[in-house]
Amino acid sequence: MDLENQQRIMDAAEKYGAENVVVVLGSADPEGAGLYAETVTAGDPTFAGPLAGVSLGLPVYHVFEEDIKAEADQGVWDEQIAMMEMVLDTAALAGSVAEMRDQHSKIKL
Amino acid sequence: MGKLTGKKLILLGERDGVPSPAMEACLAGSGAEVAFSATQCFV
Repeated sequence: MDLENQQRIMDAAEKYGAENVVVVLGSADPEGAGLYAETVTAGDPTFAGPLAGVSLGLPVYHVFEEDIKAEADQGVWDEQIAMMEMVLDTAALAGSVAEMRDQHSKIKL
Repeated sequence: MGKLTGKKLILLGERDGVPSPAMEACLAGSGAEVAFSATQCFV
């Protein structure tokens, strides 16, 4: 994750409190989704950015996970997201994010 | 009341996956507010 985004996530967590923030990912590949999820929970695994060694423990979900999908407007979902849902490996994406969340998130929805 | 009501969302989209504006549009009625939204582009 680029350094600027790491800083902005850290700022948002400080400003609003980790318990009030939810991170939603739209990543296309499970490996990338896992890395993002790790960064916002356990800290930056590359030790390059502001979140290196900072375990925010934020609740993180992939947009395809039922907890998020259930909250979405179905009409907009069908228009803008359903196509990618058919193309991408949603189970692997959700699994990759859930694994990190289960290990490192301090808060869940 | 939904699970996201009152939450601050950090949306990290991806151009080749689901971009942030699509997630924002979908979740506009969820009762959550977008705190920060970005779309990554890997080329």
